[in-house]
Amino acid sequence: MGAARDIIIAGLLLGGIYALIAAGLSLQYGVARVLNVSHGEFIMIGAFITWWMFTNLALDPLISIVITGPLMFVLGILLYRFIYRKIMVDSESIDAFEGSSMLAAFGFLYVVQNVARWIWGSNTYAYTYMATSVTSARIPLNRLVALAVVAVVAIIFYVFLSHTRMGKAIRASAQDPTTAGLVGVNVYRVLGLCFGLGLAMAGIAGSLLSILYSVNTSMGLGYTVIALIVVVLGGLGSVQGAFIGGILLGLMSSLVSYYQPSMTMVAYYVVFILLLLIRPKGIMGK
Amino acid sequence: MMLRSRYWKLCVVFMLLAGATVLFAACGEDEATTTTAATAPDGSTDTTSGPTETTATETTETPTDTTLGGKDTVVWGAARSISGGQSIFEETAMGPIYKMYVDDINEAGGLEVAEYGKKMPIELKIYDDQSSIDTCTRLYEKLIVEDKVDFLFGPTSTAFLYAAAEVAKSHHYIMMAAEGGATSLHEQVKENPYIFGDLQFADWNQVPVLVSLMQEVGVKSVGIFYIDDLHGMEYSSVAEEELTGTDIEIMFKTAIPGDIKDWTNQIKQAESANPDAICLFAYPDQNFPAIGAMIQLDYNPKMILTGPGACYQAFADSFGPAADGVMGFGAWNAKSSPGLAEFTERFEARYTIGAMDWWGGAPYYSTLQALGQAIEKAGSLDQEKVLHALNTEHFQTISGDWYYDTQLPAVECYPGMVGQWQDGVFEVVDPGAKRTAEPIFPKMEWPK
Amino acid sequence: MKTNSLISSKNAGLVLLGVIFIVLALLPQFTHAYVIVLFSDIMKFVVLTVAWVLFAGPTRYISLASAAFYGVGLYTSAILNASLPFPLVVILAGVFCFIVALGVGALTLRLKGVYFTIFTFGLVQLLFYAVAEIERIATGKRGRFVATEGTETVYYAMFILVVVTLLVAVLIRRSRHGLALSSIGQYEEAASHSGVNVVRTKVLIFAVSSIFMGMAGAIVATRRAYIDPGIAFDLNVSFMPVLMAILGGTRHLVGPVIGAIIFAYLGEFLLTRLPDLYMLVFGAVMVIAILFLPRGLVGLAQQLWRKYRGGARAPAGG
Repeated sequence: MGAARDIIIAGLLLGGIYALIAAGLSLQYGVARVLNVSHGEFIMIGAFITWWMFTNLALDPLISIVITGPLMFVLGILLYRFIYRKIMVDSESIDAFEGSSMLAAFGFLYVVQNVARWIWGSNTYAYTYMATSVTSARIPLNRLVALAVVAVVAIIFYVFLSHTRMGKAIRASAQDPTTAGLVGVNVYRVLGLCFGLGLAMAGIAGSLLSILYSVNTSMGLGYTVIALIVVVLGGLGSVQGAFIGGILLGLMSSLVSYYQPSMTMVAYYVVFILLLLIRPKGIMGK
Repeated sequence: MMLRSRYWKLCVVFMLLAGATVLFAACGEDEATTTTAATAPDGSTDTTSGPTETTATETTETPTDTTLGGKDTVVWGAARSISGGQSIFEETAMGPIYKMYVDDINEAGGLEVAEYGKKMPIELKIYDDQSSIDTCTRLYEKLIVEDKVDFLFGPTSTAFLYAAAEVAKSHHYIMMAAEGGATSLHEQVKENPYIFGDLQFADWNQVPVLVSLMQEVGVKSVGIFYIDDLHGMEYSSVAEEELTGTDIEIMFKTAIPGDIKDWTNQIKQAESANPDAICLFAYPDQNFPAIGAMIQLDYNPKMILTGPGACYQAFADSFGPAADGVMGFGAWNAKSSPGLAEFTERFEARYTIGAMDWWGGAPYYSTLQALGQAIEKAGSLDQEKVLHALNTEHFQTISGDWYYDTQLPAVECYPGMVGQWQDGVFEVVDPGAKRTAEPIFPKMEWPK
Repeated sequence: MKTNSLISSKNAGLVLLGVIFIVLALLPQFTHAYVIVLFSDIMKFVVLTVAWVLFAGPTRYISLASAAFYGVGLYTSAILNASLPFPLVVILAGVFCFIVALGVGALTLRLKGVYFTIFTFGLVQLLFYAVAEIERIATGKRGRFVATEGTETVYYAMFILVVVTLLVAVLIRRSRHGLALSSIGQYEEAASHSGVNVVRTKVLIFAVSSIFMGMAGAIVATRRAYIDPGIAFDLNVSFMPVLMAILGGTRHLVGPVIGAIIFAYLGEFLLTRLPDLYMLVFGAVMVIAILFLPRGLVGLAQQLWRKYRGGARAPAGG
């Protein structure tokens, strides 16, 4: 019984973070059509800013979320405005745009990672924050808090999507950008906004990850890979799918790593590849 | 429009290729004489640039000439992972050490080479292999054939060392290891008379010392986590060999992946098995979060030992008082010898103590000293003569007496094998004369 | 321009091409070893990039599987080179890759666009983790030692591979399959309606292109002495050909050749002069190439050529 309880708890805690990472990527692809393979690099930037402010300014990591989120949001808007929008204008078709924008994102992967390495070096850093555990199941407190933050972000985002004009515009643009444009939605603004929101989620996820694990400038790609797997699991472009996929992958990872930790990554990829072959639309895909 | 046929384009390409040959030949000449640009990559160059630049201007006037007397510097070359996945080693392991060594020698006027009848400063020639093994071997070829460097030292990581040593061997060049050490070195030295080890490794002699330490303090059971790569597999299998026949029981031996994220369940399982000692044969990326999870779950076995992890000053700086009691491989500190005390002081003055590696720092520097002194003892830049000196002579290094036992530094040359953090000092706790402090067992509680 | 001069200039081109090949073939006799090593490395990139463009150029599928096939080649060499003759090992590596690629292609080339890219990306990672895990369980070790070959042997092997790769690439482009492939890239459904067996054509070309990647891996392995899964299945090997091809241009075979040569040369320059900047420049060039050189350097050159020629003739489509 203890084992099952530990596996489920760890899976949910891990899954929450995975969901947040993947939701950002999914939003970027689902609406803005950019498969942002440099997503993990922005997570890394968020994590480093948080670590840096904690060690140098003694700023509470939960407060720095309010800084990293908006910072990444602005960065995302700028990136979209000056890079991806130009690529979109130049592209012959949406397929061509998806290809080119993904390749540009690969370029950013290298640029961001190496700029970060130039600033912070290649060392691994960690700090301790809320390093205790609670309840009889001994749930690590900081992971629980991180999960709570993810839940808050998810609720805010849900309310934003379903109850605001902008949210409606986003949903419209996701379904059919051309028609949305015809009925007066400023599509480029909406797409830029979504790209920015995706990066904001990356920034927040980075802040949370810096609390839980160690940080180093080459950590990004690993999280990009996880986000990709989750997104394929949940359905490329579906934000709800990303949340469900994240929790599922967290549970699976927890189960495999409980019994045979070295097989965890193999299991990820086996699931990932099987799913792509059998149901590329993902479990939540239409 | 036929003008733009494919053949034409191919022609252009191959003309470019041919042009490149010529250019490269020209560049090769250039590079042999001017050196400042390619020397010491940035990082903490302020001190490096001084002496290197002066020597470079001298060489510009006298192009490298093989005739005796026409040469003013001894050129040491290496391809290092300045960028890419292995850059952490160049930044924090061997990188700071070789820059410091070269400056130290040059401040004293250089190496005394009898053949030339004068002191010759060392000139560094460092290239970036981008953490790519193909680029690494290619650049060693370049260093030897085109730049005609006098001596080589190793690239970053064991796999790269083996590949580069093969190149060095084919040109009869000595290869002093850098961040490379593995039990397979025992096989390599049999086939390659030019490769020299520097670091301690699993059966040279860290794990045997660890086991005798465990016996001394009375450890009855061990749990092993190991990363599923070269390093982890070697340490875990040597540990298994060494522990069989003792009364210490292995409770579990679990492989973990390099990108393990969450240690909670592993630590909970370890706790239910409850061995006296937990060994983490992994890297900082795994060890830091593992220690974090232990603190968080308040699981405190009587002994915790990490592979590379605890040996870095960064470990103590990250965990603060919680680092106390944690053991790691290494090991040395300022108390180990007067030479190391003085070395620590100079390192701290030049960099920050936060960058210190209490495992590799001493052996890296000692290895470079051994090469430098072997050149002086041979009185020659001839590889075979220096090779002979390396194999037969004793060298006075910061670690004390230093000599080679089948191309590996003799086990007794190392200042220590196992260390333990005690009040912010990485104390050597090996049984025997190398010990700088008594081991604390069982380790203290995690600070609240 | 008159027909006569056209023909003669084409012949002159052929002669020049022949001369260049002969020069390259005799190069080891004239020059010192480093140029040989550098050229072997550049030719490796030429092979990988041309092979990548062979499939990706006309179909516009972005494959990140290069590292997977390259890695299979490396492992073939590591396992077999001690016991079998070198040329046979290289050929076997090609055969293995062909078989693997046939399987992978048959399974995945139904996927479209980004799904295919993600899959190939995942494939490299899966192979990496799977091989590492198999080696850990089966041999208890991480890596393998490889029986080595001399620099000249490697140079000639790579030279022959470049020639064969270019030859096959030219032949395929001119063949029925090449035409079918580019029709798929332009409009897959139309191609399928007009009788092209879309999946079979794609899978076949994908598998053929993988042969060269595997062979390049098998040859390179013999210069390395030691390989492990991390080195064999390195994602950078997947990214490099993409970048080189994007830089050079993917519409003509000459694009990848130029891209590979320029980038390898740029790399050599950067990593010896400005090592800190290498990877940064790598990424920046990629972004800039996508933003401003949608058809690569070759496209740019064509554009400039047309401008230079003025309005004398109507612009010809690629």
